Amino acid sequence: MRPVGILGAGAFGKGLARAARRAGNRVVLFSRFGQDLDDPGIEVVDDLAALAETTPIFIAVPSVFVAEVGCELGVHLDGRHLLVHVSRGLVGPDLRTLSRVLREVSPVRRVGALAGPLDAAGLAQGLPGGAIVGSAFPEVASAVRQAIGGQSLRIYESTDVRGVEIASAIVGLSAIAVGYARAVGAGPSALAVMVTRAMHEAAAVGQELGAERETFWGLAGLGDLVAATLGDGRPELAVGEALGRGENAASAAKAAGANVESLLLAGRMAEYAERVSISAPVTSTVARVIAGELDTELALGALMARSVGRE
Amino acid sequence: MLRRLSENPLRLPHLSPYVPGPDDPAIFWFNSERKDILAEVERRVAAAHAKDRKALEVTLNEAAYHEIQRLERQRDAESKENLGYWRGLIRRIARMTDDEKRTALERTVHHMAKDVAGNFDPRVYQLSRKVVPKLLAGVMRPSDLPRELFGQGAPLIDELLRVEGCVEKLRSLSKHGALVYVPTHCSNLDSIVLAQALEKSHLSPVVYGAGKNLFSNPIISFFMHNLGAYRVDRRIKSALYKELLKTWSCVMIERGYHSLFFPGGTRSRSGLIENHLKLGLVGSAVEAFSENSVRGVARRVFFVPTTINYALVLEAESLVEDWLAEEGGARYIIEDDEFSRLDRWVAFFRKLSGQDTACVIRFGEPLDPFGNEVNDEGCSLAPEGQTIDPVSYTLRGDAPVLDHRRDAAYTRELGELLVERYRSETVIMSTQLVAHVLYRQLVAATPGLGIFARLRLRGEVSVPREELVRQIEVAREALRALGKRGEVRLSRTVSDATPDELLNRALSVWSGYHSRVAARDLGVEITAEDPTLLLYYQNRLVSFAEAIAPPELLEAAREIGQIGVKGGLR
Repeated sequence: MRPVGILGAGAFGKGLARAARRAGNRVVLFSRFGQDLDDPGIEVVDDLAALAETTPIFIAVPSVFVAEVGCELGVHLDGRHLLVHVSRGLVGPDLRTLSRVLREVSPVRRVGALAGPLDAAGLAQGLPGGAIVGSAFPEVASAVRQAIGGQSLRIYESTDVRGVEIASAIVGLSAIAVGYARAVGAGPSALAVMVTRAMHEAAAVGQELGAERETFWGLAGLGDLVAATLGDGRPELAVGEALGRGENAASAAKAAGANVESLLLAGRMAEYAERVSISAPVTSTVARVIAGELDTELALGALMARSVGRE
Repeated sequence: MLRRLSENPLRLPHLSPYVPGPDDPAIFWFNSERKDILAEVERRVAAAHAKDRKALEVTLNEAAYHEIQRLERQRDAESKENLGYWRGLIRRIARMTDDEKRTALERTVHHMAKDVAGNFDPRVYQLSRKVVPKLLAGVMRPSDLPRELFGQGAPLIDELLRVEGCVEKLRSLSKHGALVYVPTHCSNLDSIVLAQALEKSHLSPVVYGAGKNLFSNPIISFFMHNLGAYRVDRRIKSALYKELLKTWSCVMIERGYHSLFFPGGTRSRSGLIENHLKLGLVGSAVEAFSENSVRGVARRVFFVPTTINYALVLEAESLVEDWLAEEGGARYIIEDDEFSRLDRWVAFFRKLSGQDTACVIRFGEPLDPFGNEVNDEGCSLAPEGQTIDPVSYTLRGDAPVLDHRRDAAYTRELGELLVERYRSETVIMSTQLVAHVLYRQLVAATPGLGIFARLRLRGEVSVPREELVRQIEVAREALRALGKRGEVRLSRTVSDATPDELLNRALSVWSGYHSRVAARDLGVEITAEDPTLLLYYQNRLVSFAEAIAPPELLEAAREIGQIGVKGGLR
């Protein structure tokens, strides 16, 4: 059995390493800065070439770095390799998915995205949970299942990789809205309206980008958003709460203590929705809050004062 | 008699077997392999459908059901001959033993395969390469026919047809594997001009699937049949027949025959660059590579994204009306368009013969089945330039395996890439640019009007010539900028002529060929006489509309940009 490869030794990368060990696999973990995980089954390397002998290879770096590391890693890979990213980001003004970026910058075609209600701490501790792998290639989902799946971590699969990636990204954004709304005193009913509205927006944007609508009502979309709403401690909620307390985006990000992709995505997503004439009030409100254009009172009003009609 | 000749085209007798030379193209070997290929195709199709009892019964039932439906509709000689067989089969299926069902399947597949299989006769090929361009040119300019037939010098067709792109590389690649040309498709002339472009560029001839309707003329049927074309009967809807076509294509590519198919399926009715592809035959080429990899055959497959760009489209009027009827909800199949009328051909070529280049064929950068570019020796290249082994894409563990789901995923991704390449390899012609600028003015003058209402505004919107020329110049400059970034190509005329010349050229090309006038020259003004034709020609620029619009026309350009998007025709 080849070892499992992980590129990126942040909290999520380390969580994946622990999950892979729990599943009985050896791990090769790439870190530029060196790490000691106190596990002889985890080999920490600082040479990307070492990942060429692993399968699958998880890319656990923020979306802005995926193109760069994908390109560097790509010179060591060919068509046999399987790549799986775990990012919640979409890049560029046309919201390109990271599986597409990886296909463009590397020779690897068998690419997937790991998404759903997964968090670093849960992975590291082996808490019961589930996730979804989006990939057009069935062998990618099988490889992820073998790498980190088990009794307590159920791995589902979808061939709609684009839908999984977009849903995952927009859920991050919606989680900011949830945190924000809670901080400004919204009750369960208001949260339910907002969360449902957010999913409709996500599905409409996703469909425009070529995703399947059903994916948004599965584990990558609704399932993940339920976990966020119930308060699974993800950093997006902390960012939203800090914004709701009146902090600006920079200090809110600092308060969250982790990289939050959605802070960068909100503005681009709102612009995209406007460009393709999709009504996206939750997204555009979050984008304006992050940009400091709306104060608390106005923002809650903007979220709730939409015209009502058929669902 | 005519029907017999069309359905069973003549083959010339062979007094002595033709032995291909070492430099002859792969297709020269076809006849010596024809029996083998037929047998292999029949074996694979029958095996795939006879895996289990239920699948076998479903396949037979489905084939018989669709054939009965078709033949009952056709009510022709073929119906009389075959309807009884299918009706009898569907009645007997439930009582048949497994062996009888297998025999019925094999018989059906054999019958279908025989109808599909083509032929290649080097003598017909030699004849056609000498005579066809001259005859075509003679149709274009009848007074020059004697010079064309007996004189020296380049035939007129060479003046009208320009070939661009990776010709040298294709010549080199043809020695390393099978070239699969996947062009855009907007006219029935496409396969003829593409064959001429290959001949002109000293590239090997290709095998291709030709619609059975093209075989209705015994002379065309004779040439098609003897030049490697296999027959595709679009009226046959059964899954078994579609599988047979794909398997035929797969086996041919596996054996190294250069092939041609149009991934858009049928001709683009709208004039839009194809953005939804039918991937069945593309998939067969991807599978051909996997089959060879599993068998350890080091024969490669190269896809050649190709665009065919006309200044004037022979069937423009019928196509665009069909598209609009379809968008309006009344889909119908064109039975008798301009392609079947000789007078339209003559008028078409006469009109073109005054132009310097009437058609540009552009061969884009070839790709391996996994979307990688390749070098001159056919090695696949990663984005950073290192060579990679394409067999690695078929590996599971350390061995290449066949996997239909995996290959279907590769095919979808390749399809997306082809759509991108079609856009960037499109060559903008003068008629398209002028039509776009004029149509954009029409949209700007009628804000908020639905497209169908706008198309009824015949001759109601005019633009001062001076203003139109200025807009053409602005749009051309923007296209040049896109061209520099490799996002589109410009024909030589669009690139070099003055805007005034471009306008005059487009008006002159349109005038007199189509039954309606696209735009009328009133001296100081140009009138958008037929918005439907203008729409057709400008549609080639839809995906560039926003990028080439000046700020004051951005709204109109955005509206144009929605054409072809679902619900874009409001």
